[in-house]
Amino acid sequence: MLSHMVNVLGILLIAAAISLVEVPYMWKKGLKKELWLFSILLFVAVGISCAKALHWLIPTPLDWITAVYRPFSNFLTHIGLIR
Amino acid sequence: MPGQIKISARQIMILTTLFTVGSAILIIPSGMASVAKQDAWIAALVGVGAGLLILYMYSKIASLYPEMTLIGIMETLLGKWLGKAAGLLFFITLFINAPAPVLFYIGNFMTTQMIPETPILAVNILFALIVVLAARLGLEVLVRSAELLFPLFTLLYISFVGLVVSDIKLENVQPVLEAGVGPIWPAALSFCCTVFIPHIIMLMIFPASINRSDQTRKAFFIGSLIGGLMLVVVVTLAILVLGPDLTARNIYPSYALAKKISIGNFLQRIEAIMATMWFISLFFRITLYMHTTVTAIAQIFRLKEDRQLVLPLGMILVIMSIIVYPNVPYQQTYDTKTWVPFSLSIGLLFPLLLLCIHGIRTMWSKKRAESKG
Repeated sequence: MLSHMVNVLGILLIAAAISLVEVPYMWKKGLKKELWLFSILLFVAVGISCAKALHWLIPTPLDWITAVYRPFSNFLTHIGLIR
Repeated sequence: MPGQIKISARQIMILTTLFTVGSAILIIPSGMASVAKQDAWIAALVGVGAGLLILYMYSKIASLYPEMTLIGIMETLLGKWLGKAAGLLFFITLFINAPAPVLFYIGNFMTTQMIPETPILAVNILFALIVVLAARLGLEVLVRSAELLFPLFTLLYISFVGLVVSDIKLENVQPVLEAGVGPIWPAALSFCCTVFIPHIIMLMIFPASINRSDQTRKAFFIGSLIGGLMLVVVVTLAILVLGPDLTARNIYPSYALAKKISIGNFLQRIEAIMATMWFISLFFRITLYMHTTVTAIAQIFRLKEDRQLVLPLGMILVIMSIIVYPNVPYQQTYDTKTWVPFSLSIGLLFPLLLLCIHGIRTMWSKKRAESKG
């Protein structure tokens, strides 16, 4: 458990470092929309990374794409364009 | 931002070549040999031909809207909000389908072939660091580094081909067309989908940030052709030297090919030097994906500056690269079963749809002009 915590701490440190590099510039220039998108992306990144560091089961997003494309894929297999 | 960056035709040619060679040089011979056996080289040639047709369609779209990027074209043709939504969906799905898997390939390649005791995450983070660095510095720096690294890449490629040629066994490609032309099509399709369809992201930089657009179409084609032919040669050599069975059984046949190099029992074990070639081409492939994703997000949300988004996106890239493929068999099934229809839909059907809408709109506006006049 401790090692998991260390991993999460490391991820948070990286996120803090990234914010230290980017945020002051955007703040000074008043780039509000950029700051919002930056925070959203960073939040997503930290969320997924922490979930992975805590060994939670994360389904690969490719499973959903596979499910969406199954009919098309089956059709291509049927006409012999996929082996 | 687009419009401010200007790159020349020669630079776009070099960039396209490196992008075309990209990840395919590592992975493509294996999948093709397992489908088309000893005829994989014919399939590769067919794939290059079909790929050039697809690229013709892209350059057609680009020439219809010479001042716009792909996002701008989507917004004009599909309407503002639908265009934005389509663009966002396009680039999110592309992000988990293209740059993250390519980063997985490099990590997997390193940890299975060269440094097996290192965790894959360490390799991916190191590689992602230089990708992020390059994407943050922008397109101009990227194309100049492409110009710098291209001679090294060419040198490595030529020496690779030259040193392997002595091991050729012509029996390996015989009999030609043993199973008829049937297996050629799926192999050619997978070649085309892996190598040429991702070129649609070049539409993000291709018309808008070029200073002389008349020469760039040619440069774009020549670059893709050179890259495609380089791949055809690699596929052919893999078949000729290793034979179709061994090529299909290796995950990285071109690396196995480099291991074969042995000149007089003296010049051997230089496969690590040859791997530099793959690092260069994979680097440009991932960085171009990252750059286009960032510019696409910036254009969808009308941002003034985009390089601030690179670092968090790089973090997502690293974590996605170890999530997307749970294991190598999953990757192989995905690449054959789902990547092909997915890339066909974004790289063939979607541009065709855009062209249709363009045609309908021009017809409509003509009719309107006639009825008014």
